[in-house]
Amino acid sequence: MRRKGIRLSFSLLFAMAGLLFFAGPASASGESIGSCVVEKLEHIMEEGHHDDGHHDAEHLFHSLHAEEGATEEEKKAVKKNEDKLESCLEAPSPIIPELSEVIWGGGAFLILFVVMVKKGFPAVKAAMDARADKIREDLDAAEKAKTDAQSVHADYEARLADAKNEASRLIDEARGAADQVRSDLVAKAEADISEMKSRAASEIEASRQQAIADLRAEVAGIALGAAEKVVQSSLDEDAQRRLVDQYIDEVAGS
Amino acid sequence: MNVFALEFPPVSHLFEWPDIIFSDSLFAVNKTALIYLAAVLITSAIFLTAGRQRGSLVPVGVQHVAESGVNFVEESVVMETIGPEGKKYLPFLTTMFFFILFSNIFEVVPGIQFPANSRMAVPITLALVVWVIYNFVGVRAQGFGGYLKNSLFPPGVPKALYLIVTPIELVSTFVVRPFSLAIRLWANMVAGHLLLVTFAILTQTLWDNGYIGAVAPFSMLILMTGFEILVSVLQAFIFTILTAVYIGGSMHAEH
Repeated sequence: MRRKGIRLSFSLLFAMAGLLFFAGPASASGESIGSCVVEKLEHIMEEGHHDDGHHDAEHLFHSLHAEEGATEEEKKAVKKNEDKLESCLEAPSPIIPELSEVIWGGGAFLILFVVMVKKGFPAVKAAMDARADKIREDLDAAEKAKTDAQSVHADYEARLADAKNEASRLIDEARGAADQVRSDLVAKAEADISEMKSRAASEIEASRQQAIADLRAEVAGIALGAAEKVVQSSLDEDAQRRLVDQYIDEVAGS
Repeated sequence: MNVFALEFPPVSHLFEWPDIIFSDSLFAVNKTALIYLAAVLITSAIFLTAGRQRGSLVPVGVQHVAESGVNFVEESVVMETIGPEGKKYLPFLTTMFFFILFSNIFEVVPGIQFPANSRMAVPITLALVVWVIYNFVGVRAQGFGGYLKNSLFPPGVPKALYLIVTPIELVSTFVVRPFSLAIRLWANMVAGHLLLVTFAILTQTLWDNGYIGAVAPFSMLILMTGFEILVSVLQAFIFTILTAVYIGGSMHAEH
């Protein structure tokens, strides 16, 4: 379809070009002044015959000889022929448009204008507008895609930041918890230790007191026995025990 | 005409072409008429072919030519002179641009070598069409009185100067404008054609008289051919942009 159109238009162009070559520069307005004069002379010779055998061309040549004695009619005929010949020298004014050219040129423009307004121009303009629209749409879509990508990116960044915050919060928390646990453990351990220590100390103290009491009782028994034996006197038992305790206290105090 | 032993044809022989068919009638077809028809065919072919290639995202070939043309007229002519409201004249201005361009460009097409706009027919016809359009637009946009007032008494001019300005504006806007528009195009193409013919004849004569002398005029001929391509495009552009300026001027009261 498209190729057909192109072929058609080009064949038209070729035909036109051929025609133009046919009317090419070689035939440029053909005639020269000389050929014009000859043509006019032929014309005068052909048309100049009168029924009376009289010939207009004679008047033409009369004018080349003598004017004296010519009749008014002869003078007129001479003038007519001279004018005919002189028209060969007159070039038509180049600025006055030729009517046939105006008709063809104006008609050609009118036809072209109608063809362009009806078909050619809207088709081309529509193609251009369609392309412009498509490009605009594509650009808009690209812009939208870019904005979307940016928002996705921003979202991602935000989430990443959140995650980072969360992570550091978790780490902090864990660290805090660990510290707490450690200090608790330490405190507990310390408490246990001090409790064990104090228990041990009180146990030791009790054992010592017990030992002292046991020892004292033992020593008092031994000493009483010994003293009884030494003095052989029998002091009442309470007085003896008091003496012994006093003695021990003195010993312990020294 | 013999100038320094040069066979220079009469100027009318360079611009007037014999009829090919329908001789001596109103519809006589000569080379000029054929070039106008060729301009129609070429422009239509470009645009119709381009229109058929719709939908291709990257324009190539003929489509590119058509689109560049439309784009050029839209951006460099309409938007620069009238503005967005001038877009409805885009088809007219585009048509005019391409029609004038292709009528001109045959000046340098080998074997044809004749700018159709070196004949007054199309320049004056188009200029008169433009005259009708911009006056119509002016009357429609500003009303008859408003248009006349703004054209003849341009605002911002000291009152006393209207004595001088108004007659000048009257003549320049309503009388001279179409003719200056037409003659600018016509005279440029006439001058270009004469230049090319002159150098071509010089080249041929000097070639016939010992070859060497032809080098200089032949170089000029090549140079001038390039120059005339530029002139062809430029004159089409100038005609189009002036049309747009006139329409824009009629549309907006402040001009």
